[in-house]
Amino acid sequence: MSRTRRDPREEREVRRLAGSARPRWRLDLPPSVGRLRRDPRREAEAARVPGAARLRLDRSGRAAGPLAAPPLAAEPLVAPTIRIIEAPAFLIAVVPDAPGGRLTPLDRQLLGTARLLADAGGGAVLTLTFGAVDGLGTAGVDRTVALTAPASGDPAMRMGALAALFAALQPRHMLFPESAAGGDLARRLAARIGETLFTGAESLTARLATRPAGNRHVEQRTAPPRLVTLAPDAQLPHTGPAHEARRLEPPEIAPTPAHEAILSVEDLPVAADALPLAEADFVVSAGSGVTDFELFRELARALGATPGASRMVCDAGLMPRAAQVGASGTVLEAACYLALGISGAPQHLQGVARCEHVVAVNTDLHAAMVERAGLAIIADAQQVMPALIAALKAEGRQ
Amino acid sequence: MKTLVLLSDARHPVSGRPAPAPTELQAINLARSLADEVTGLHAGPDAEAARGALGHGLARLEHRKILAGHDPLPSLVAAIGTEAPDLVLAGRRAGAGDQTGLLPYRLAEALGWPIVADAVALAVEGGVLEVIQALPKGARRRWRLRLPAVVTVHPAAPAAASFALGAAREGQVETAIGIPAPPDEPAMEERPYRPRPRLIASAAAGAGAAERLRAATQAAGPGGRVMVDPSPEEAAQAILNHLRAIGILKPAAGG
Repeated sequence: MSRTRRDPREEREVRRLAGSARPRWRLDLPPSVGRLRRDPRREAEAARVPGAARLRLDRSGRAAGPLAAPPLAAEPLVAPTIRIIEAPAFLIAVVPDAPGGRLTPLDRQLLGTARLLADAGGGAVLTLTFGAVDGLGTAGVDRTVALTAPASGDPAMRMGALAALFAALQPRHMLFPESAAGGDLARRLAARIGETLFTGAESLTARLATRPAGNRHVEQRTAPPRLVTLAPDAQLPHTGPAHEARRLEPPEIAPTPAHEAILSVEDLPVAADALPLAEADFVVSAGSGVTDFELFRELARALGATPGASRMVCDAGLMPRAAQVGASGTVLEAACYLALGISGAPQHLQGVARCEHVVAVNTDLHAAMVERAGLAIIADAQQVMPALIAALKAEGRQ
Repeated sequence: MKTLVLLSDARHPVSGRPAPAPTELQAINLARSLADEVTGLHAGPDAEAARGALGHGLARLEHRKILAGHDPLPSLVAAIGTEAPDLVLAGRRAGAGDQTGLLPYRLAEALGWPIVADAVALAVEGGVLEVIQALPKGARRRWRLRLPAVVTVHPAAPAAASFALGAAREGQVETAIGIPAPPDEPAMEERPYRPRPRLIASAAAGAGAAERLRAATQAAGPGGRVMVDPSPEEAAQAILNHLRAIGILKPAAGG
């Protein structure tokens, strides 16, 4: 805890009025630090109702007199600047997961790290994505190559394309997220091209990378090799000005065939109601605003979401304890949270802290959950639930 | 059908004593559902940790003796050449050492076999292996591939068989000299591990408790849209449109 020390003499000296024999100070300037100083005489003058015989003051604030507030210099409007790197000295290639064309938090941290590596020597960040991805410029990307996503889920085909690009572009580093898909792809690539892979880096600069080893008893340190995977929540995402994310034409690459022994790869439908809450991607949660739990479960099935509940509902035995969301229940990692009749106690909001999107249905406009939500409906959850089920059924019939 | 399970020189994460890695024991359990006899394979200076797996349903252990710090890959490839298994299973990461999780991939590349990571269930029918792969967020993916193959096992696979002392004593360990493969690169500098703080929300360092609570519990973006007292039908439509806009629900079938 350290604060810059104030010097009252210096602060007063700024206000000194020149051209006067005795010291005089300007008192109407807004202070440079701290709270704005109120002038009760000026406020009373501004609130005075003109034309009245006796003194009458309008305290409603509607009568904004000329002296109501000291005019502050308006900030000049500046167009958002985009940083452009025209001739990069080298490239830092990044292969984000980006499921469904959206960057994950780990992808953003990866791009933030790549930005640091590139800015250390005048390089540029290049993303290699399969299909188009949104929001790359604000995440700090200079160049992007969008490859066509292979039809099969076999990562060997993606790995073949990346191996060809690695040879063609010669990036200084190629970074992957240490996630299921990114880690698998990085290991396949390292095994194919015979490069050293630094897995699960917890710190990464141009000179030094560290990773845990030996059951997290040992820290290994070395200059980062060309292939690196980054552990989650180890680095900060890019927060500076946006970069241009210029699209480059993908070079001509002969498509890699899948391994001839692989016959088929198919995604299985997710049984959302049987999922543990910690793994769920979309959670519908009931609070004390919900009374009909058969209807609630039917809604969860119709939406394909995992049912959750608040502590009050679990304490009352209306939902199993495993369904409790919050500090003493499960802390969610879901992408979306639909809160029905939950006001949002701090302990509950902690469980939702890592959710990307929150939708709230609540009767109280001033509930904390409404403040947290991206879309808040001020209505009775008990009446919205059948309407939602009916709307989903009507769409299914069309 | 012949199945081989790769065993690392694992250490217990807390005590540091030799103990088999949990995912390798789960791999033995999965292999026993396919074949009656499961062989373990370990390349390293001593098989102390791998010997512990004999009590968890492993019948026989092949040990290739190499010096500490040498690359086990040539010894493993040679052993797999003589054993000729249909399926090689491995854990997700080794139970000690570098724990890069890279060895199964290098092995598959050296053998020219396909590799599937993070298996939770296996089945074989007519020389075709069906693997259920665990993906994040509870998703599952089904692979069908012709044997032979390399498969790594996910921690969500069925639990390992419990330890049986009699089986552990009866199990055979066959030791042979492996192929020496000194490492190409010098070993990395090592230090005692220092845990780093997880960087979560962007609460500024030195911010007050109220700011940190706000960063932990509130949305990072600006406040959202609020609809006050809509009719239930309007509310339902707004929720569905919002869920579609953020990509959670698939677009409506009727357009």
